[in-house]
Amino acid sequence: METSGIYLALGLFALTLLAGIFYKLSAGSGRSVQRSESIDLVGIGAQKNGFPVKELGKNATLLQFSTEYCGQCPGVRRSLSQIEYRTGGVLHAEVDLTDRLDLAARFKISQTPTVFILNQKGEVTFRVSGVPKAGLIQQELAKLGIK
Amino acid sequence: MSAELIDPRGPRFGAAITSALSLTAFGIAVTLPDGFLTAYPLIVLLALLFSWNVFAPKTHPFGLIFKKLIRPRIGAPSELEDARPPQFAQKVGLGFALLGLIGYWIAPVLVAVSAGFIFFAAFLNAFFNFCLGCQMYLGLKRLGIIR
Repeated sequence: METSGIYLALGLFALTLLAGIFYKLSAGSGRSVQRSESIDLVGIGAQKNGFPVKELGKNATLLQFSTEYCGQCPGVRRSLSQIEYRTGGVLHAEVDLTDRLDLAARFKISQTPTVFILNQKGEVTFRVSGVPKAGLIQQELAKLGIK
Repeated sequence: MSAELIDPRGPRFGAAITSALSLTAFGIAVTLPDGFLTAYPLIVLLALLFSWNVFAPKTHPFGLIFKKLIRPRIGAPSELEDARPPQFAQKVGLGFALLGLIGYWIAPVLVAVSAGFIFFAAFLNAFFNFCLGCQMYLGLKRLGIIR
């Protein structure tokens, strides 16, 4: 019992450490989406500065899902707004999921912030759960030919 | 809806102490001959600390230590966060502590299981800024398990 117990304790510590490292490496890396429906921004109640969004961005749309209790959402909002400001034809819009859990289920969102990159037709091409890593969104926009 | 905002480093400071306590409990439980019984008081202590945070978070000793001793030294945080997800995480912690507290009388090994889970979650929160309970918040709301 005694010696095996020490291994057990070390094992728990190592497992936790590995889980943490895995989280740090994978968080905010995102993934490409192959097939997607076209998202209707009006239908899902997307907003910008508190006003409803009527149209998609000319070249792409950065759709951010947030909640009232999300601690890291305001920071992501600021950085995506910066990208919008610097990049032509890109729109940043936000959806508050707090009272729209149906949308969280529909888009399989289990944490906020989650960011979708939509193409001109409003189809999801890329999605990131958590805070996107630095430069990731710009890189993915560049793949769509947007700089 | 206005919500209470807190310094996100407060809960992480508490989690660091919690992870030390729970790893000690786990170590005792799996190495000493009468480990489960010897570690039991630590599980009682953890259950008390979690309950304190659930029912009267403002008077919690870890919170007060953070506010009085740590925060003045490290300065203001770059961002405040909503108190609800970390509050919820404390309830998850309490749930695991109760598993050991009550479970001991059914199967003593549950003391080690409980300490192990608490360590896993608390360590990730403190050192990797990954709040397991907070991540579960939206997911569980979506499933309708919590409101």
